[in-house]
Amino acid sequence: MNTDARRYVIIVFFLLVGSIYAVRLFYMQVMDDSWTLRAQEIAEKRQQITPPRGVFFDRRGKKIVANKTYFNLMMREADMKEKFDTNAFAKLIGWTPMKVKSRFWEIKLGEGKYKNPHTGKTTSNYQKIRSYPFVKEMSMEEMANIAPYLQNFPGFYEEITSMRSYPYANAANILGYLSEVNGEEVKEDHFYRAGDNIGRAGLERFYETELRGIKGIHYIVTSALNNAIEPYANGKYDTIAKQGPALHLGVDIVLQAYGEKLMKNKRGCIVAIEPSSGEVLALVSAPTFDPNLFVGKRSISKNYSRLISDPSKPLYPRPLSAEYPPGSTFKLIQALTALQEGVIRPGTSFPCTKSMVGCHNHPHARNVSEAVQYSCNPYFYYTVKKIIQQGKRKKVTEDAPIGLAKWTKYMKSFGFGVKLETDITGIRPGLIPDPAYYDKWYGHNAWGFSTIRSNSIGQGEVKATPLQLANLAAILANRGWFITPHFVKSIGSKGPLAIYKKKQYTMINRVHFDPVIEGMRMVVNEKGGTGSQARIKDIVVCGKTGTVQNPQGEDHSVFIAFAPMYKPKIAIAVFIENAGFGGTWAAPIANLMMEKYLKKKITDKEKEKHILESDLD
Amino acid sequence: MSRNMKRDESILGNIDWGLAIVFLIMVFMGVANVYSAAFNPKHPDLFDFSQKYGKQIMWVGISMFLGLLVFLIDASIYRKFAIPIYLFCLVLLVIVLFMPSVNGAHAWLGIGSLGIQPAEFAKIGTAIALSSYVNSINVKQQNVNTVIVANIILLFPMALILLQPDAGTFVVFTGFLFVMYREGITYDPIVLHLVNLIPGVRFKSTWVGSHFIPILFVVVFLSIITLLMSNNTIHFFLFPGIDIPGFFGVIGALLFMGVATYLILRFFASKRERNRITMIVVIGFFLCSLIASIVNFGFQGLKKHQKDRIELFLGLREDPDGEDYNRNRAMAAVGSGGFFGKGYGNASVASVESNHVPESETDFIFCPLAEEWGFLGSFVLICLFMFMLFRIVQIAERQKSRFNRVYAYCVAMILFYHFAVNIGMDIGFAPVIGIPLPFFSYGGSSMMSFSVMMFVLLKLDSQRGDVLG
Repeated sequence: MNTDARRYVIIVFFLLVGSIYAVRLFYMQVMDDSWTLRAQEIAEKRQQITPPRGVFFDRRGKKIVANKTYFNLMMREADMKEKFDTNAFAKLIGWTPMKVKSRFWEIKLGEGKYKNPHTGKTTSNYQKIRSYPFVKEMSMEEMANIAPYLQNFPGFYEEITSMRSYPYANAANILGYLSEVNGEEVKEDHFYRAGDNIGRAGLERFYETELRGIKGIHYIVTSALNNAIEPYANGKYDTIAKQGPALHLGVDIVLQAYGEKLMKNKRGCIVAIEPSSGEVLALVSAPTFDPNLFVGKRSISKNYSRLISDPSKPLYPRPLSAEYPPGSTFKLIQALTALQEGVIRPGTSFPCTKSMVGCHNHPHARNVSEAVQYSCNPYFYYTVKKIIQQGKRKKVTEDAPIGLAKWTKYMKSFGFGVKLETDITGIRPGLIPDPAYYDKWYGHNAWGFSTIRSNSIGQGEVKATPLQLANLAAILANRGWFITPHFVKSIGSKGPLAIYKKKQYTMINRVHFDPVIEGMRMVVNEKGGTGSQARIKDIVVCGKTGTVQNPQGEDHSVFIAFAPMYKPKIAIAVFIENAGFGGTWAAPIANLMMEKYLKKKITDKEKEKHILESDLD
Repeated sequence: MSRNMKRDESILGNIDWGLAIVFLIMVFMGVANVYSAAFNPKHPDLFDFSQKYGKQIMWVGISMFLGLLVFLIDASIYRKFAIPIYLFCLVLLVIVLFMPSVNGAHAWLGIGSLGIQPAEFAKIGTAIALSSYVNSINVKQQNVNTVIVANIILLFPMALILLQPDAGTFVVFTGFLFVMYREGITYDPIVLHLVNLIPGVRFKSTWVGSHFIPILFVVVFLSIITLLMSNNTIHFFLFPGIDIPGFFGVIGALLFMGVATYLILRFFASKRERNRITMIVVIGFFLCSLIASIVNFGFQGLKKHQKDRIELFLGLREDPDGEDYNRNRAMAAVGSGGFFGKGYGNASVASVESNHVPESETDFIFCPLAEEWGFLGSFVLICLFMFMLFRIVQIAERQKSRFNRVYAYCVAMILFYHFAVNIGMDIGFAPVIGIPLPFFSYGGSSMMSFSVMMFVLLKLDSQRGDVLG
């Protein structure tokens, strides 16, 4: 039998396999990119490099939020000795041996488990060859104490990390704090990876996207043991991490610290604004806390629950969130509105009848300025009545809603009853009632001015935050306009956000401010004024006291002011809870703050001493 | 002196330079590839003998020296000493079973990196013994006895190798069945013997018996490919939206190959044979399509647990970090190469430091090559092997001596098996059984045995003119 032809069978086999392999290789390598992705999954890893966060400077260039180097004590089980001396290690890091052991378990269990759907086997995600932080965020001192002995414990080593540090232990409620992102945040924004920090409150949260900077990506080739072995493609695709821009704050940290000092043992707020720019100079919420308490996971978990459950609510940003009745300070814009509406003139006078609203004993207010000076309740009762009931309708209950609607517009043009667009979280709008509000309570056309009269003296339904009151002081200082109060005067070198460059005008003409401001000057500087405690030598201070009735207890003491009278540099609102008359507590504190800011020194040491030593809490 | 020179010249002159050059090119590429696959930055010197690339160069040197010896020894020695060589190999295979086990197999003779694997050399010994036996018998005399003897020659080394155990080399030995097929020693006498036991039946030969080996090969190969493809859809990323179910892909490929085979065979065949070839190709295509259909639809009709078992065997089950770790990593390395590759020394999956692909310098040596040189490099490698195989068949067919021809076919089949299985396991077409890629995988035994195998072939061919050589 001739078998020569069988050579073709063999040749065909060779050809068959060769061509099938070539086609298969072409498909795998060129057409199908799933293996490329698989290879990236296996070996080409992206290492994210988190840049240090942007830092904060105060208005005088002092660094108030910095980054400090901390250490994580890392553990890699694969490198550990078989006989690990738990007791010695516990002694070194100052833990109990029990705590060390439970920390091991915590790390292992914290990694979770993976169930292979095919084999049904469940394996821990924990890997001996991976590094885990055993103790997080140790200070340089803590690390320095144990570092020399770490060589006795192979598998443990130090890793540098960066955390916030606050050279001034102030302004915690402005700055906010950082903590680790939660699962939802990671899902929502791909910027974050588990373990990353995110701004939790205050400016840290508001300016999160600026402050966090731009992450760098370093592509590496990793080994089967998950070790980085070399940069991928010699770093051709790497991007460099970029630190977030520095925030330049309008806050004067010295003034802020002084305010916090004055507010010790008191509850309430101080808000100071530079009227011409709308920059917040100080925003004190008392009681407050040291921002350094909220640095790092360990101290946050230690301090957070204590502070959150503190009945004096140190974490509550009072100046932004607390809505108080504005009291007599509200009379100022009633006067302005009435003048603008033409229902009164600067020389208008009303008798202090005390029949509808109570009043204290004071000389007769012959004009608007004196009414402000004496804070005459009946005067403003009549004034606001004239605004609300302008006689457009015969029936009082039909007339009042028209007037109130107009009034509401005026109030809102001053930033009351609306959320100010200040660059911080936690802003509340306060409350300016409109006709719908009362319709809901009393029914349509079922109420008149007498129902809502308390609002005319800043009681009743109206509510405002201390920030809004400080903004009112700034509007008065500017005679009719304001720039939305804000903290950051410049993001890096780019200046503030666009909205903080725009003047917002109230509905009041410039001319109507003079009699009211004259009244404010008299409040502080003339005999019979309610705010004489706010007087500063050589500087004309304009102010207005307020005493807010408080059904829960003692009256709140309020004072708003600006100084100097011409070319004002500072506008301020002080709000002291349960402290009584506005002139007694709020006015002297405002005085000290303004003097501190304007003169950089305190002339009346007695007054300062008195305030510092008073315990109103 | 001058006579010696002349003789040397005549040897060199008679060498098949086509084969020799391809062989040398592959050895050179192999060393370069091992240098990248086993690169140690602490020892960057190519000739650092503490490193695998240094050692590989040493093995190449030793192989060349052995080649020189082969060229100096008269080719008739292999025919004359076929039985002692064969027996010597068997003795080594027995001795190795008593050696300490390395990686679960008693495969190494000697210590550490200087040891040799007798199984590698047993291939040459068996090839020589088979050539010698086939040479000794008359083709027309083939009967049950000759088939049995030829199979026994294979059986001894195969059994001993299976005892090591070394499944890869065991599989390679089945390649000798193709050589026997080419020489007409098939299972036909046995099939006939059995068939003719049936009263009234008296065949002279059966088609199935004669072509049992290639048919088996086609059925197995086609079945595996069909099963692999039956669950897939082929996507063309250049033409998104055009997705072809895997089964039609297989049929399409068969059609393409049928046409290609027809055209190629027509080129070789005489006019008289053309009609026959046409018929064979057409019938072949329909038979193959039938097999593919049976496998495909038969598989779909299987019960779930049966399906699972087959899928698990074929590595179709997704278990990339468990059972299928090696293959998955290997395929990722190969598949991520792209068209032009990642560049020499730039493998990220198959690099020695990353160690994702285990044994990337020995059994999985194709991975770094495919990853670094991409489809271009892979295709060149396939072309080189194809050229080498065709050339050896060509050489085989021009031999006057049957011994030489059988030996040449043995070499071709051994190389082909190594090529097909080794690369097949990197592209998901073959189970992961560790056998080296000739001339590329790091290792002294494989380097030396493949080289000696090649030199012996070149020597035999160079003396093909000798009377009764």
